[in-house]
Amino acid sequence: MPGPFLDRRLLVVTGKGGVGKSSVAAALALLASRAGRRVLVCEVNARERVAPLLGAPPSGTEATEVEPGLFTVNVTPATAMREYGLQILKFQALYEAVFENRLVRAFLKVVPSLGELVMLGKILHEARAEAHGRPRWDLVVMDAPASGHAVQLLRVPGAMLGTVPPGPLRSDAEWMRAWLVDPARTAVALVTLPEEMPVVEAQELDQQLREQVGLAPAALLVNAMPEARFTAEETGRLGPLAEAPPPVGPAARAALLQALRAQHAARHLATLRAALPLPTALLPLLASPAWGRAEIEQLAAALAAPGPGEPAWLPAGPAAARAPARRRKGAP
Amino acid sequence: MTALRRSIGSRRIVVCVGSGGVGKTTVAAAIGLAGALDGQRVLVCTIDPARRLASAMGLGALGNLEARVPPEAFRAAGLAPRGELFAMMLDVKRTWDELVTRHAPDPARRDRILKNRLYHQMSAALAGSQEYMAMEKLHELATDRDYDLIVLDTPPTAHALDFLDAPGRILDFLGNDAARTILAPAAGAGRLGLRLAQLGSATLVRTLARFTGAEMLHDLAEFLRGFQGMYEGFKARAAAVRVLLGQPTTGFLLVASPSPLSIEEALGFHERLQREGMPVAGLVANRVTPGLWRGAGPLPDQAALAAALGADGALAARLGATLAEHERMAAGDAAALRQLFEGVPGPRAVVPRLEEDVHDLAGLAALARHL
Repeated sequence: MPGPFLDRRLLVVTGKGGVGKSSVAAALALLASRAGRRVLVCEVNARERVAPLLGAPPSGTEATEVEPGLFTVNVTPATAMREYGLQILKFQALYEAVFENRLVRAFLKVVPSLGELVMLGKILHEARAEAHGRPRWDLVVMDAPASGHAVQLLRVPGAMLGTVPPGPLRSDAEWMRAWLVDPARTAVALVTLPEEMPVVEAQELDQQLREQVGLAPAALLVNAMPEARFTAEETGRLGPLAEAPPPVGPAARAALLQALRAQHAARHLATLRAALPLPTALLPLLASPAWGRAEIEQLAAALAAPGPGEPAWLPAGPAAARAPARRRKGAP
Repeated sequence: MTALRRSIGSRRIVVCVGSGGVGKTTVAAAIGLAGALDGQRVLVCTIDPARRLASAMGLGALGNLEARVPPEAFRAAGLAPRGELFAMMLDVKRTWDELVTRHAPDPARRDRILKNRLYHQMSAALAGSQEYMAMEKLHELATDRDYDLIVLDTPPTAHALDFLDAPGRILDFLGNDAARTILAPAAGAGRLGLRLAQLGSATLVRTLARFTGAEMLHDLAEFLRGFQGMYEGFKARAAAVRVLLGQPTTGFLLVASPSPLSIEEALGFHERLQREGMPVAGLVANRVTPGLWRGAGPLPDQAALAAALGADGALAARLGATLAEHERMAAGDAAALRQLFEGVPGPRAVVPRLEEDVHDLAGLAALARHL
């Protein structure tokens, strides 16, 4: 298991929409299971992506082994509620009498944040569950929703401590929060792209997670990083050739675009690393029109075996480099 | 003028929808800017918690206030708009408070709701709250202000469809009859424990109390009691918003990138809009890699490039690989777009992937030229 996630029980993977969270979660899970760990990937009420990315059919709401030692599950409010209800009421018949009641079902929908609480509860329950004196899972990977929604989900236990009076819901919120904010058990990986908006949002997400959830992200995963393929001298030579007839013109234009993209990416990466002093892994930009097993294998390979002379994990920058929290008016 | 610009020009409200990461906010801002350059008085409203529009438009804080983009910002970008551009950031909590204040029959009731613990949690965290308030604000802006065009950038939902379903979900919450039935005695008496025994469904409530805690039920009863009588007002307002969204002077603009996930979302949303008879203003395919190798011939190999360039073989090999990689991405994007265009007919624009990030008015204007 790569770098900073060694020996954690729960790994939360989040980031801006469209940065490739599910692909990165799938690659991390694959690596962990290959290192001999029993892994469960939890998707949160989503159109399932992880099992299909690994080349398996969707798992649905039951944890399903998609390859040896690697399970995935789609956690939905309905199934999580049922499991939670059964856990409290103990008896199937009593559960059915109460929870299958039409009025109660409608009622439960209106208890604010209950859906989020039970989904998060199910995931944390899996992470802490033990069987035969050892953890049921060595690692639970949570493919969390995008930025703002992830914060909303993860802050539910803390928020409930502030709003819910003492009772069973509150005690659950208490242990859930304790688990979430314990750095020995839980790690958050921020996934981003080396582009301007994703970099800004990664910094905001880092701040929100620390301030609103009490969780400090453990690592940065920069996806779709283009390689520095052409030297400045070469792009200087190619510049005047961009309008040349084929084959030189199109080849020069493709090279200039690639060089520009790599140059911007390097700049955004530098900004990000200066702002967030976290261990950082770079994942290559893959020119694949569709994502599947082959692409996940490439990400996993990049995380496991870096190029010659290149560490997969860049060490964290100096801690003092973390930019002071930016506060905008109206920010919570 | 393109068909897409004509379609947008005939509308007063444009709602930009699409999955996260497709550049929705930037497209919304570019459409607003294009309108302002053409002489319209335009407002761009965003709900994005990442506050991206603010940086894109060179504005600081935007909390629920319509701020005009200053003339000097345009001048600095070399732009001379004939109209005016305003931008605002939706403040979800404040919009809720305004809504409660408007519908509350008296100040005492208003204060009771505003102080309720569950109300705070709901206005901040209930799923769909953002989306509902976005529509609520849109209605207010469309009726009370005199903008020629309002461009609404929708929240970055996991599923674009959430946007249409949100008001119904929240109204279900506020008008939940089941909860009222179960909690009626608690709401009436104020003390839940006292009344549980008198209730026909006493076992039910006691079991529920084991689940949520009795005080929680009490809080909820109190909360729903606060909203009693106001529900009709909320419902009427939501219906009015629905009518507004269905008018021909409103249009949904689908924004998609060529990623499979985004295409799937856009197609799903389009189907839903069709089914519900909602007006579609058009489609923007954003971040598309254009092909560079025109014509049908095979891509040049290393030898051909080395010969044509008079360059060393190593550079020629990298050039060949880079062109091939580029064309592979372009071909993938083209195939994705064919699928998208098949499913979504009508006015559309293809915006190439811009290697320079759009973060200022000049960048937005450059993007707007592709629309």
